[in-house]
Amino acid sequence: MGVIPTALAVIMVVLAGAGLTHLVERGLVRSRKEQGIAMPVRAGKEIDIPQADRWMYPAGPVSALFAIAAAMVVIPFGRDLVGADLGIGVFYFIVMVDFTVLGLAMGGWGANTPHGTEVYYRAVAQLVAYVVPLGLAYIGAIMMAQSLSTIRIVEAQSGLWYIVLQPIGFLLYLATGLMQSFRAPFLEPFSSTIDHGVLSLYGGWKAWYWRIAMSGLLFVVSAMGAVLFLGGWQGPLLPGPVWMLLKTGAMMLLFTWLGAKFRPMTTDEMLQLSWKILTPVGLANVLVVGGLILLGVGVKQ
Amino acid sequence: MTLSHYAVVGMVTLMVFGFSAIAAALLRVPSERVDAPRGWMPYSIGYPVYALIFLSFDMEMIFMYPWAVVFVKEGLMGFLDMLVFIAILSAGIAYAWGMGGFRWE
Repeated sequence: MGVIPTALAVIMVVLAGAGLTHLVERGLVRSRKEQGIAMPVRAGKEIDIPQADRWMYPAGPVSALFAIAAAMVVIPFGRDLVGADLGIGVFYFIVMVDFTVLGLAMGGWGANTPHGTEVYYRAVAQLVAYVVPLGLAYIGAIMMAQSLSTIRIVEAQSGLWYIVLQPIGFLLYLATGLMQSFRAPFLEPFSSTIDHGVLSLYGGWKAWYWRIAMSGLLFVVSAMGAVLFLGGWQGPLLPGPVWMLLKTGAMMLLFTWLGAKFRPMTTDEMLQLSWKILTPVGLANVLVVGGLILLGVGVKQ
Repeated sequence: MTLSHYAVVGMVTLMVFGFSAIAAALLRVPSERVDAPRGWMPYSIGYPVYALIFLSFDMEMIFMYPWAVVFVKEGLMGFLDMLVFIAILSAGIAYAWGMGGFRWE
């Protein structure tokens, strides 16, 4: 396929994935006290904040959706069904998804209201908490696959999925994936105490951008979980894309179900959890995976 | 080959920006004025030390990616190298924890 059809297909997958995620979340999260991102946005009315920054305020949602669309490029739905098989695949993915946090920071700061500024601080705290343990969870999978390419990581799991070989890494990914996707119990930037953060500060097309970006965020995080630990598109009988979607859906349900099991955490508790438990566990996981590889487990010569 | 891969990334970026420009120009909905106080006031951030430690750890993490890719080839030597690296990182965490860095201010 040419560049433009491929890019259009990527955008279509983002829209479809975001729609699907929103439906699933509305169904499962509606009854909760803190609904976080699953709240409906106010797309019917443009919101005019007089003191908002002219450029930074609309740059927020654009940056967030750019993050999701750019990250979707490396998510493979089949051996040849990928936007672009970049050599730096998963590293590129980590960097691109972080533009969501930049979007929240710019949007919150640009809105120039007390709640907006609070969104800025909380979103950045979330980044400080998740990036290091999340990266350590990725590194385990990269070590066994010997590649950063998402296609190669999936193909390296043709014998055995990494969820079996690296259960600690998978648990680490679950915890940090929830932080990365701003889902319960880590929904401080969207909590009801600050009026659901950016969801109440934006209207019109910007609200649609937030909706698609924030629903798509859980979709790409779930899809990357399926790629790293559940063997991506591989499976018997059914065609590859169906397996990939099923696994992504399973990850999404797992994330949403886990979110209901714990009470919402404050930013303070989240940072402590990340730095006192998850980061040391992540470092230990790298050593455990290294030891397994030295014993000849999970590596194809 | 590589260039055409990144052309997809570039095109996706252009589309997201382009759609926002089109939407901003065409989608007109009734506007509602929201009167909120300005955000320009003192805040308590609470996590400045976390943020500093994060900066250094994020830098260190970058070195682990190339190491992870070639780990199988390097074998025991690579493992011992990383053992030293992780020991230093863990010492960093232990120091930060000990001096009270992991505390909300």
